[in-house]
Amino acid sequence: MPEPDPGALEPSDETRKRLDELRAVSDKAEAGDREARRELRRLVRSSSPEVIGRASDIGRRAGRMLAKTAAGGDPLTEEALYAKLDAMRAEIAGENSTPLEVLLTERIVSLWMLTALLEVLVSAQYRKTLSDGTKRSSPSYLIQQSRILEGATRRYLAAIRELARVRKLQAGAPVQVNVLRG
Amino acid sequence: MAWERRGGNNLYYYQSEREDGRVRKRYIGAGEVAELVAHADAALRLAREQRAAREGAELERLEALCAPVLELSEAAGVLARAQLVASGYRRRKGEWRRARA
Repeated sequence: MPEPDPGALEPSDETRKRLDELRAVSDKAEAGDREARRELRRLVRSSSPEVIGRASDIGRRAGRMLAKTAAGGDPLTEEALYAKLDAMRAEIAGENSTPLEVLLTERIVSLWMLTALLEVLVSAQYRKTLSDGTKRSSPSYLIQQSRILEGATRRYLAAIRELARVRKLQAGAPVQVNVLRG
Repeated sequence: MAWERRGGNNLYYYQSEREDGRVRKRYIGAGEVAELVAHADAALRLAREQRAAREGAELERLEALCAPVLELSEAAGVLARAQLVASGYRRRKGEWRRARA
C-alpha cells in the first residue's frame, strides 16, 4: 500500500481555531443562550464561508489522494476513479447547491472512497489468510482492521443522512435518500 | 521460555504457558532435545514479533489514510450544525426542530 501524503490535507491552525470557536458557540446557542445565537449568526456569516471553502478543498484533495492510493500506480484506474468521484459529486450536489451542500457532498464522496478502499484492503487480508495459512494475520489485527472499516462505513452513512437533513431543514421540503445505492 | 540452572551447573529448559489466567512452567528437559525445543520456541517467538511489528505498521498506515477524511468529516459536522443552530434549529431527542423565537 503506497504511503499517503497527509501534508496537504490538514486544515491550517487558523481553520482549526475557527472550527473550535464555531463548535463552542454552537454548544452555548443550542443550550438556549440567546447572545451565543447572535454571535453564532455573526460567525456563520463572517467566517464560515471561508472555512467551508477550505474544508471542501481539503475534502476534494483527500478524495483524490485515496483514489491514487486505491489505483496502486495504475494511471488508467486512477483516472477512472477520479471520473467516478466527479460523477458522484455532480449527482449528489446537484445544481445550485450551497457551499455547505458542496462541503457535505465532498464529505460523502471522500468517505465513499475511503470505505471502498478499506473494503478492498480488508478483503485482501482475509484472502491472504485463507490462501496461505503460514502468512495468516492475527485475529486481533483482523478485528482492528474491521473496526476501522466499520467506523468509516458508519460515518459514510451518517454523512448521507446529514446532507439530507440539511437540505430538508433549509428547504422545508421532504427529502428521500436511498443510502444503499452505490 | 527459559533455561534454569538447577543442582549445580546443570541447565534445564522450561516453557511458560498461560492457563486460566495464570502462568505455569512446563519442564522440557536438558541436553540436545531441550536445545532443539528452545530453538523452535525462539523461532516461533521471532516470527510472532515480526508479525506484530508488520501488523502494527500496517494499522498505522491505515489510520494515516483515514485521518484526513475523518478530520474533514468532523469539520463538516461542526459547520453543518453551526449553520442549522444559527438558522434557528435545535436538536431535541436526536431530532432537529425549529427553536421557539
